[in-house]
Order: sequence, then structure tokens, then C-alpha cells
Amino acid sequence: MNYIGTIGEKEVKVTVLEVGIARYKVTIEGKDHLVDAHQVQDSVWSILYGSTSFEADVQKRDDEYEVLIAGDCHKFSLMNEQRKALMRSAGKGAAGKAMVASPMPGKVVKLLVEVGEEVKTDQGVIVVEAMKMENELKSAVTGKVKEIFVKEGEVVESGAKLLLVE
Amino acid sequence: MFKKILIANRGEIAVRVLRACQEMGVKTVAVYSEVDRHALHVRYADEAHLIGPPPAAESYLVIDKIIEIAKKSKAEAIHPGYGFLAENPRFADRCEKEKIKLIGPSAHAMRTMGSKTVARRTVQAAGVPIVPGTIDPIAEEEEVFRIAKEIGFPVMLKATAGGGGKGMRLVREEGELRSSLRMAKSEAKSAFSDDSVYIEKYIEQPRHVEIQILGDRHGNFVHLCERECSIQRRHQKVIEESPSVIITPEIRAAMGKVAIEAARAAKYEGAGTCEFLVDKDRNFYFLEMNTRLQVEHPITEMVTGVDLVKEQLRVAAGEKLSIRQEDVRQTGHAIECRVYAEDPDRNFFPCPGLITSLRTPGGPGVRDDSGVFEGFEIPIYYDPIISKLVVWGKNRTEAIARMKRALNEYVITGVKTTIPFHIRVMSNRHFIEGNFDTNFIDKVFFKEEEERRLEHDDVAVIAAAIQVFLEERKRAMAQKPAGTTGPESMWKYSTRPGMRKIG
Repeated sequence: MNYIGTIGEKEVKVTVLEVGIARYKVTIEGKDHLVDAHQVQDSVWSILYGSTSFEADVQKRDDEYEVLIAGDCHKFSLMNEQRKALMRSAGKGAAGKAMVASPMPGKVVKLLVEVGEEVKTDQGVIVVEAMKMENELKSAVTGKVKEIFVKEGEVVESGAKLLLVE
Repeated sequence: MFKKILIANRGEIAVRVLRACQEMGVKTVAVYSEVDRHALHVRYADEAHLIGPPPAAESYLVIDKIIEIAKKSKAEAIHPGYGFLAENPRFADRCEKEKIKLIGPSAHAMRTMGSKTVARRTVQAAGVPIVPGTIDPIAEEEEVFRIAKEIGFPVMLKATAGGGGKGMRLVREEGELRSSLRMAKSEAKSAFSDDSVYIEKYIEQPRHVEIQILGDRHGNFVHLCERECSIQRRHQKVIEESPSVIITPEIRAAMGKVAIEAARAAKYEGAGTCEFLVDKDRNFYFLEMNTRLQVEHPITEMVTGVDLVKEQLRVAAGEKLSIRQEDVRQTGHAIECRVYAEDPDRNFFPCPGLITSLRTPGGPGVRDDSGVFEGFEIPIYYDPIISKLVVWGKNRTEAIARMKRALNEYVITGVKTTIPFHIRVMSNRHFIEGNFDTNFIDKVFFKEEEERRLEHDDVAVIAAAIQVFLEERKRAMAQKPAGTTGPESMWKYSTRPGMRKIG
């Protein structure tokens, strides 16, 4: 299968080929890597690269990956070619619209804006409390508050939609 | 010794106290909120009582409920741990009134040390050095000049009503004083509608070093040497070690002596900690006294061999301390890393949630004081601490290498943790050289980290690519009509070595 990875600004072409049981040939930008990979514990992979042993904790949210190796957190996105092409065509026109979601489970302490209010990029729009700490969440875009999905005092799950700025 | 005590806390510290009790043959009573029914402290205790809904204000902080359960269960004493009610003099008063022994200092000692000004006055009277300056606001400009010259530049002007850095000005020399004073006053005026300021000596490259003390009601005191706690983020300790690289035997003895004097002045009983600031010329100044067991107490236990919780129980029961000052030896080197459910890559954002898998480190010299297990859901209501990983080594070099090794063994999935952050600190050149102050993490470490190139990014992409590849295949298999997958995949794999069974 063919995938497109985006690391920082750079796009890389990635191909995965199964060559045996738990053995793969992964080609990144034309360079072949032969590995033996086992998902050993929840999201943790044991990888033998040649005979060099690595442990990688692969965290995923949609197409965004955070892979932890020996204390280093590698962040990149990865998706298959078709999906990437689809996203490209659908992505146009979506700019300027952004959902503010809760990055963790917690309680909505305060709404800082109302529906219809103009907000700027990086303006705080809602305060969510988790573990005795209040966290102000910001709007990623400049626009108008289109919809608010929660009330003050409401307990929310991680990833819950809080409000939409358009 | 007590026959039964109540532990008015949760998480790792409740577990820590339970362990000491069990080893001493003391029966234990746990209290828990509605979200903590599965927690370790409930399961490790001899008995456990529900005290209310999840918010601490409705459970772990409700004095009436805790006293009621202590009486009902016939507990003779209460160990408050740290946090919650540990430094609440009203709780200490109530315990005194109900004739239940609080394992900690008296309400009087708590009040004396709880107020910064009273503590300062008390310790100053006992001859303990404090940061030179005034506590009261200064009205006259000439007075500011006089005091600044007296304590010596650099000085810090601070708004009396201050906080959050507002109305604070660092003044390096006399020539800057007039304009800085004007700015500090106007800033204080606009921020707090109060333009009064006071003046304090500015401590350059400050390090936070604290002394552990123990006292009993028979007038015996010992100090158990220092803990270096300068590795802080947002003024909160995250890594501690003992001994401190900057403390010589002479300074240690001097600090120990003043810590005991401060404790004696407050008629202190039990375990306590005197916090000091140490400047670049190794002058030390008293900051405050914490009238409880500290989070970082295990490093002291590792280098001195003294079990602080057991000593707390002994002196609370009226016994004498089991050690004398001349018996105290500081052997080897210990480091503690506080593992929090926080995302170090997103400014330490709290990440409560379900621990889906856990692999704890082990081997020589490793101690994990934890309050969690695989399948435990870290509640959103309390401190996000998961565990304290503590190591001992024969010297600092071995301790750092051991900590790094243990951190690499530590796997917690399901929630983000500060483990990767600790691995990076253990590899940082300045940390290894012992060259840091309290500003290190916020001002130096993260800047250096930003410029660092990550190794093995190809392995990261490989792992992710294989995972998405397998997920897609699984999805494709699930979509195929039933009956077509079996024989096909059997045939596909049948000739490959190492296959046992499919399906």
C-alpha cells in the first residue's frame, strides 16, 4: 500500500509490503527498510530493524500520529494515497472554519464568548477544568462563533465538540 | 504504638502510608470518594469507607465526615498525607478536640509556620537567615534608597498586593532605582489599585534546597540532610535529588542546624521540611517550613535508610525518635522523577483517562511509589500524579544512568505522561553537570530541546505505516462476505515458517 506522510513541511512517500509473518518492507522516499514488527502491549510496538531493537508507542488521532521512541515524541501525519487525494479536493473552502474541541476530559468552567460574537485567532473562547487546573482554549481562526455545543458546568469527554467558529 | 489509624488521603501517598502501617502491624482505615472505589488504597487497607461524591470539597476535604468515620471505626490517629487537609489548622484543632491524634505537628505549630510573616518573624528570632528586606510597605522614597543600599544591589521591588509578576522590578544598581520604583508603583496601582511596594534582596541564580527534619515531644530533633529541588516547571518541583551537588559538608551542617532551630522555635513535632533559597555564592536563606510529609520524601529515605512514615507514627504515638543525629549517614545518591498524567509536548496539559497498559521498571536500586494499576481510570478531580519513580545509585553518575534506564523501561499507555520529559532531562548536559537553578526548565531546557534534532524518525514512520497498513487490511477483511476469507488466508500462510494456527 502507498501512503503519504507529512513531517513538518515535508511530504514523504511511504510504501508498505508484507514480506513474511510480522515482516515488512517499508519504503520511505525510495529507501527500503526491512523490519520485524510486533504489537506487543496495547499501542506499543517492538521493532527489530535489522537486529537493532526499538520500542515505539504509536498514538493516533485521525491521521495525526505521535510516536514515542526512547523519550522522543515524533509528530507527523500519515494517510493512504487515495485518502490524501480526497482530502486535497475537499479541503478547499474549508479554511476559516474551526471546531474547538476539548483536548481532555473535564468540566466546562466558563464560556468566554456568545453565539454570533466575532473572535480572533488565538483568542480564548472557553475555559475547561481538569485536575484542579483551568485551561483556556483558543480559537484557531478568526471568525464568528457559529454554534456552542456545551453549557457551563457540563462534564465533557476528551475530543468533545465545544464550539464552532466560522 | 497505635492499633489502628485512618488515612485521610488517596493515590500514591495513601498507598505509601498504608505500606508503613502494614509493616508495623497497625490496622488501617481508608476513606474514598465515589470515583475511587477501585483505587489501590481502598483495596490495600483493612477497611474502607465511602465519604462522598468525587469533588474533593465534598469528600476528602470534609472534616466532619472524616472525623465521624475515625470515631466509628475506632481509629486512634489520622495520617493526612500531603495536600487535602495536611496543613489545615482547623482540622488539627478538630482532631485535638475529638482526642484523635493527628499524625503531624500541633495546630499551633501549623499556624506559626503557615503564615509567611509569622514564620519569618519566628525563625528570625531564632537566628535563622532570611532573604534580607522588608515585609512591610515603604512609604518614603528616601527610605527605599536607604534600605536598598543597606541590603545591597541587586534588589527586587515587589508590590505588597502583588502576584503573578505584576508590580515586580529587578534593580541592578542605584542609578536605576528611581525610575524602577516609579514603574513598579504605577504598575502596582493599575493592577491592584494599591501602589505600596516593599523591597527584597534579589537572589541570583537561586537554587531551591530543603532540609528534612524530625522532632519528637521529648525535645529530640534530627535533620536528615538536604534535598535539591531546583528542577521545577511553573514553580512546581518535578525532579528532586539528594545530596545536592552544591552543598558542602559545612553548609549541610549549618543548614541542618538552622532548620532544627526553626523547628524548635515552633515546638515542632513529627516530620517537617525547611525550604531555603541558595544563591550563587552559596549563601542560604529560609523560605518557609512545610508542616507535613513532602512528596519527595523517598529520596531522603533512600540515602539515609530512615523510614519517614514509620518515624512519624512513632513520634505521634509518643515514642522517642529511633535515631540520633550522630547516626545519620547520607549514603550514595537518590533521584526522584514525578510521573504526572500530563502532556509534556503541550505545555504539561493534564491528561486524565484510562491506563490501558502498564509496565513498571524494576531491577537494582529502583523504587516506584505508585497509586495506579493497569485498568485504572485517573479521575479528573484530583492531582494528576501517577507515581514517583525513585532510584538509588552509589554516586550521582550511576543514579542518573539508572534513572534513565528505569524511565526507558516504564511504559504507560492510554494517557500521556511526563516520562519522555524526564528522559530528556536525564540526558541534558547542564543537568548532568549539575549546573542549573530554579529557572532551568522554563528558560534553558525547552529552548535547547526546540533546537534538538530527533533521532530515529524513520523508525517512527515505519511503526505508524505498518499499523495503518494492518488496520486497513483488517477493515478490508471484515467487509468481505463471510466464508471467503478462511481457506484463502490458510493457503496464503500455509507454507510460511513459524505458523501455528490461523483464525
